[in-house]
Parts: sequence; structure tokens; C-alpha cells
Amino acid sequence: MKESLMDILCDPLDKSELELEVDERDGEEIIEGRLVGTVTGEVYPIEDGIPNLLPPDMREE
Amino acid sequence: MSDSEPTETDGPLDPATQRRVVRERYARIATETEAESSRSSSDECCTDGASATEGTAETAAQLGYSTADVESVEGEANLGLGCGNPQALASISNGETVLDLGSGAGFDCFLAAQGVGEAGQVIGVDMTPEMVEKARANADENESENVEFRLGEIEHLPVGDDSTDVVISNCVVNLSPNKPQVFREAFRVLRSGGRLAISDLVMTADVPEGVRADPDSVVSCVAGAATIDRLREMLTDAGFEQVEISPKDDSDRFIREWDDEYDVSEFLVSASITGRKPE
Repeated sequence: MKESLMDILCDPLDKSELELEVDERDGEEIIEGRLVGTVTGEVYPIEDGIPNLLPPDMREE
Repeated sequence: MSDSEPTETDGPLDPATQRRVVRERYARIATETEAESSRSSSDECCTDGASATEGTAETAAQLGYSTADVESVEGEANLGLGCGNPQALASISNGETVLDLGSGAGFDCFLAAQGVGEAGQVIGVDMTPEMVEKARANADENESENVEFRLGEIEHLPVGDDSTDVVISNCVVNLSPNKPQVFREAFRVLRSGGRLAISDLVMTADVPEGVRADPDSVVSCVAGAATIDRLREMLTDAGFEQVEISPKDDSDRFIREWDDEYDVSEFLVSASITGRKPE
């Protein structure tokens, strides 16, 4: 995902802001890392460039 | 808006089962190779089981895509799973932000990306990991810089308020066990004056009891489609104005082929659904 798109992303649970933590990037592109809900504290992983913003009960087992 | 509101259970399945069935079907479609797909029986939602080659091209024309549309997108982005051409309904302009609900392998996103140009952006949300992976691979192949995909649920969009000019969706909302919430979410993310442009299935008659009870029928997936009156009510309740729902005249030609055993065109039709968030 592109860092510039952080602007319009939000926590799917309560629509509050997300904080980006980057483990690996390729220029603008975030490859690995996570998005953390600033209010819910929920952690949404970014894997292989794809942010997983499914609500926690919808994640793969 | 709250999750505690009663969930629509118009379909034959409870919401959790409905989600799981839909996810499993689409995960299977995403991971099938072209050869497998052409052999598979026509039991998938919104697809006649055609291969991603000529069968899909023919279906694409029936849905309202031009040959140029189909040829302009690289990779296996067009899986033939739609029931219309929502980005054509939306008259997308340069610089706009477009959100695709249930983006699948990304075909409508890549077409929308051509419309918004480099100054705009397109975001696809899909709840099936296999589809999002396929879409991302297709984005690389198309060298689409302005298209992003994320795993998400259309009832809980991970997109900020008033951030989007156009919300599109192709044959997806009918699969949701909670359509009113999908429309409330679409309304929330749209800017004032923003447009909703959806191609989707609508119910035109009651599903015959025998068909409804058959778990192998495509109907287990699409029997949750709403009537035009009910859809209009949901959209109006969500806040949309200028709501228009127009059945697509010739859609029985492709809908008829979705199920081997039943003619689902007797109770389902594809429709163009548009609305606007008030200024």
C-alpha cells in the first residue's frame, strides 16, 4: 500500500485514525508492517503490500 | 449507525454462514487456473463458469463493456463475475477518488483507473484474501500506479468519512447479509454530491420453494437479493437522493446460464442502481 493513502484509511471498527508502523518499504510502497487503531488499539497487519483491514472476527483462523 | 441493529436475513442462510459460503466460493474462483475454470460446472454466483478467454469476452459484451475496455486491461482481472458495467454508469472524471465494493480480481478498478487518470485514485475493497492477492498481481501487470487493494468488509469499510467521489460495485451487494449497513457505509465515505453507481441483482419474483431449499443451487448465494422497492427504501433510508434503479432489459440472456438446473432469470434480473449524496 502507498503511504499517501493513509489519509483516507480508517479503523473499520470505529472509523478512528490509524497509525502506520513500517517493517519494510520500497519507496512510497509499504510492503510489511501494521496499522494500529489509535482508539481501539486493534492491530491490522500489512502483508506483501496488502493491508488486512477486515474486522478482527473476520480474519482467517 | 450501529452493528447492534437487526441484521437482514432475507436470504436462506444466517449471516455468518452466508459470509463463509461467499468467501469460500470466491476464494475457489480466485485460485482456479483458467483451465480448471473452463471445466468447472456453472454453480458459481454471477458467473457461467466460462473460461477467462472467449467466454468471458462474450459475457463482457452482454454486461456492457466495450471490446476496448476488455482489451485495455492486462492479466486475469476480468473473471466474468459481474452483472453490469458500474464504472460506465458512474461517468468517472479525471482526478476523482473511486471506491469499488467487492473488487474481486480488479477489472472494474483498472477501468476506473483509466478514467481518474494519474491525478485520481481507485481503491478496491474485498473480503477474500485470494481475490485481493490476484488483484494486486494484476495491478503489477497493468502497471497501475493509482489503484490500491485492501482486505476489508463492505459492511465495515476501512475508509474515512467524506473521502470518496464515487462508490462503484458489481454484483456484490446482493451477497451481503446486511445490505442496509453496506449502503450506510457507502453514504458515509462519499463526499457531498458524491455518486453511487452499482450493477447488481434484484429479485423480481419469489424464489420457488424447491429452488430455495437446494443447497447446491446458485440460489444459496443470490437468494438474498432484494426487490427493487426494498432496495429503494434501503438507499433512501441511508440518505441517498436521486435514487434510480433500472432493470437491464436483456440480462436474462446471461443470468439464465448461471445454474444448470434452474432458470434463475425467472426471479432475478440485473439492474443499474444509482444515487447521490446530497450537497
